[in-house]
Amino acid sequence: MNKKQNPEEITDQKDLAMEATVHLIVFRLGSEEYGIRIEQVKEVTITPEITRMPKTPDFIKGVANIRGDIIAIMDLEERFRIRSSHPDPAMSTYTLAIEAKDYIIGIIVRDMPQSLTIPVSKIDKTPAFIQDLNINDNYIEGIGKLGSRLIIVLDIFKILTHDEIQLLKPL
Amino acid sequence: MKSREQEYREIFVAEALEYYDALSRHISELEKSPKDEKLLAEIFRLLHNLKANAKAIGFINISDLSHKLETAFGLIRNKELNFSDEVVTVLFDGVDMLGEMITNLDNPNYKEADNQVLLRNLDLIVEAPDSTALEVDKVQRDYTAKNLSLSDLIYIQIKKLDHMMNLVGELIIDRDRILSLSKEIENPDLAVVSSHLYRITEELQFSVMDARLVNVGTLFNKFPRIVRDIAVAEKKQIHLEITGQDIQIDRNILQIITDSLLHLVRNAITHGIEPAEERVKIGKEAEGNVWLSAQNDRDMVNIKLRDDGKGIDLNDMKKAIVQRGFLTSDVVNDLRESEILSYIFEPGFSLAKEITEFSGRGVGLDVVKNAIDSIGGRLRVESEIGVGTTFTLHLPTSIAVKGALLFEVAGGFFAIPLMHTDSVVALQNHQLHEVGDMLVAEIMNETISVIYLDELLNAPEGQMRLGDKRVLKGTEQNIIIVTYNNRKLGLIVDKLLRQQDIVIKPLNKPVDNIDIYGGVTLLGTGKVCLVLDVPAITRYFISKR
Repeated sequence: MNKKQNPEEITDQKDLAMEATVHLIVFRLGSEEYGIRIEQVKEVTITPEITRMPKTPDFIKGVANIRGDIIAIMDLEERFRIRSSHPDPAMSTYTLAIEAKDYIIGIIVRDMPQSLTIPVSKIDKTPAFIQDLNINDNYIEGIGKLGSRLIIVLDIFKILTHDEIQLLKPL
Repeated sequence: MKSREQEYREIFVAEALEYYDALSRHISELEKSPKDEKLLAEIFRLLHNLKANAKAIGFINISDLSHKLETAFGLIRNKELNFSDEVVTVLFDGVDMLGEMITNLDNPNYKEADNQVLLRNLDLIVEAPDSTALEVDKVQRDYTAKNLSLSDLIYIQIKKLDHMMNLVGELIIDRDRILSLSKEIENPDLAVVSSHLYRITEELQFSVMDARLVNVGTLFNKFPRIVRDIAVAEKKQIHLEITGQDIQIDRNILQIITDSLLHLVRNAITHGIEPAEERVKIGKEAEGNVWLSAQNDRDMVNIKLRDDGKGIDLNDMKKAIVQRGFLTSDVVNDLRESEILSYIFEPGFSLAKEITEFSGRGVGLDVVKNAIDSIGGRLRVESEIGVGTTFTLHLPTSIAVKGALLFEVAGGFFAIPLMHTDSVVALQNHQLHEVGDMLVAEIMNETISVIYLDELLNAPEGQMRLGDKRVLKGTEQNIIIVTYNNRKLGLIVDKLLRQQDIVIKPLNKPVDNIDIYGGVTLLGTGKVCLVLDVPAITRYFISKR
């Protein structure tokens, strides 16, 4: 996923030294890049063995043992009904462990996530088209631009709160 | 609160009384078969141990008497002395005196002057085996209740305490149900009794858990010898300091962490502490230090193992992490120090340059971590290069270990507590009958509903065919018969695995509210196994019909 940097990107990064920045973990869902603030990410590991858990929604792939914590693993591509560009189950994936208020949940991403710093000014918080997306507007913090790259910055906690309510529905 | 010394004394007295009982028995048998080698060897062994234990605590007179008796029996074993006539009497009296001394340890009025004759006789036997100058001093022994004593301590099988703990667990579930019903029903008498029931069960639970506590020292005290042996083998000088032996912890937990602690100590000495010359070169003392300590931390116990060795090199760790393909180098550089160090617990991960007899194969630390995770504990490591490394075991004081039956359904591992398991049968498909929209079978003269678990768990809602034999695989079905509220239900599983003791942990959010799961457990392999809740499965099945 390492695109060659064009001169515009290099200039952008030179400006980083002088502005307030946001540190993101960037990953791919479908054919787009998404980012989560690094403070929301507890750790990044190769996806461990997932134990399927019957009677959970499809986007909950199951639970896994990450450093002794048994946490639920969520597939955002399924959650947001995004067409996966590499639906090869044999490919190993990565898991971002997100720390919510009182629990940890894992998010599967297909390729190795990248670490990226973006100036705050480059994140567009209110593009109008966000209302039209199939991801609820609350989940998107903004659209980040770095050179020719477009990164959809997610507020993962908003996604989790909504899901918590979903899962509380009795069997 | 008893002091450690007082506790050791009590343990010594309990053991010593056992020895005395055994010695009395054996010497009586020996009188009937004086040439029995096994009896002689056993008597010798008991006296030898008693001598050593008494000496260690400082009961010199018991130790000396044991020594005299041991010498005498040694001579008998070597056939230099005959176990007959006066010798028999003197030795019997000697053993009895031993018993008297042990029982009277706390008696300040006990006079030993009365025993001089006997002691002289013993000396005579040993020094001049053929002498007939023994003073025959027949002391009548009054076997009053005073001389027969029972110890205040009892030995109890840990399994009995495990069972009590499980019963208390079930009691608490029902108690909570009664409490919530009592709130709904609003009857003042019921409210009072429920409240009292609540308090009593709380205390009962506390008492049972307390009965299972042992001092951490019972494990710690084995380490001086272990450390010495490893130090000698590794040709290193090690000073071990132990603190916190009085801290109490559930006996099961101590059992489970024994191997782990052993492994960590071996690692510390083999890989942590540098050889003496190296240490001196960098300004450390030649002797390496290892600290083993235990502390209470609210309702957990922290066991720390610290060494002042060479520490873990973070850069080596980062390189190894990238080399093994765990992460890319840019992500690795974003990791916090604690996260980098935690990779040391990955299976097969080893920074060791060579493999020694004791460690380096990289098969240890992940097993240690799994063991501690499986009981709901945490294993953390801190290290500073050149300064040393500290492993912290953060452990619950108490855990409930439950027997469970493990099985497979559609490739997943599941467990059901043995408490709800009645039996296991294998039936041919033709022995299962379709009645309405469910399956039944005749098992030991009872007609029991039978559920194909794969269908119940994995078929899409609204499309479950619980009464259709055609969805079954193969011609023979493994069925676990479970009971709840005197109701039996058969569960068809794909494969029966084994019976195992497990520690059930609650599921975390957001999957903590799914009724059919009673929790989750980590198997020793690190594999996650879901625990099914039998009442919930029964309710779910009923709702699907």
